[in-house]
Amino acid sequence: MSMWKEHYRVGSDLIDTQHQELFKRVSRFIKVVQGDEPWEERLEQVKETLVFMQHYVIIHFADEENLQKEIGYPELERHTRIHESFKGEIQEFAQTVEREGFDEEKVQEFSAKVMTWLIMHVGREDQKIGEFLRSRGGHK
Amino acid sequence: MRVEYINPFYQATVDVFRVMLSMEPTRGTLRAVQELVPVSEANVGIGVTGDLRGSLLYSFPKTMALEMVHIMSGMEMTKLDAFVTSALSEVANIISGNALTYLSKNSLACDISPPQVFIGSTGTLAMATEKAIVLPLVTDIGTLEISISLHGK
Repeated sequence: MSMWKEHYRVGSDLIDTQHQELFKRVSRFIKVVQGDEPWEERLEQVKETLVFMQHYVIIHFADEENLQKEIGYPELERHTRIHESFKGEIQEFAQTVEREGFDEEKVQEFSAKVMTWLIMHVGREDQKIGEFLRSRGGHK
Repeated sequence: MRVEYINPFYQATVDVFRVMLSMEPTRGTLRAVQELVPVSEANVGIGVTGDLRGSLLYSFPKTMALEMVHIMSGMEMTKLDAFVTSALSEVANIISGNALTYLSKNSLACDISPPQVFIGSTGTLAMATEKAIVLPLVTDIGTLEISISLHGK
């Protein structure tokens, strides 16, 4: 069973590819976080993923917001606010672990939060972009 | 405790389960209880303040909890650890937020407190002093029971 589900597609090649990459990374992150090896051995991968996420969501959100602008998506402003708030949460977590250290339980909780957010956001919020795209005959 | 507070929770759960689990829960028979009591192994409590005050308790059987997170993550889960309980808290949080948004369309403005996890089905939560209604949501992987105790000011 994969974390990515085919019905998450919105109908833009760029956005669908980025979403699949995000799901793949979050899925790998969860595997590392839930792994059996000693925490110290997994920590490097956890840190790498966190850095990747911080950068990748910025790129992906910007691309997705550009698509929304391009097609005249009416909920752009609301959608951008949701993106900003999620970026803020990732930033806040990164600062917390930087300050207080990478506690295993905190990282587990964070990875669950990211997973849930990603599924709800792509599975519901982004699907509205897909519907809008389809209503105007798809994306070129 | 008014019965019209219940339907938004049913609607919100259907919506969230459809997106997260590709599942359509059906509504079991409502029952009234005197206190909020965890009925299953994995429980998430959420407080409500604002125009409505009270508590919500989400009770997931262990096998259901593990299967939900399995579907969401694509990974087999074997224990109710911080990852699983945090995912359940998020699910409960989203359902509660959406249900209260539906209620706010009836011009009731409410806020929710961060979810608290309780493992095990013993004891009573000192969360509510008034009666609650239990809403069972039946799925192929088990029944989630949401105990709802909400009261106007």
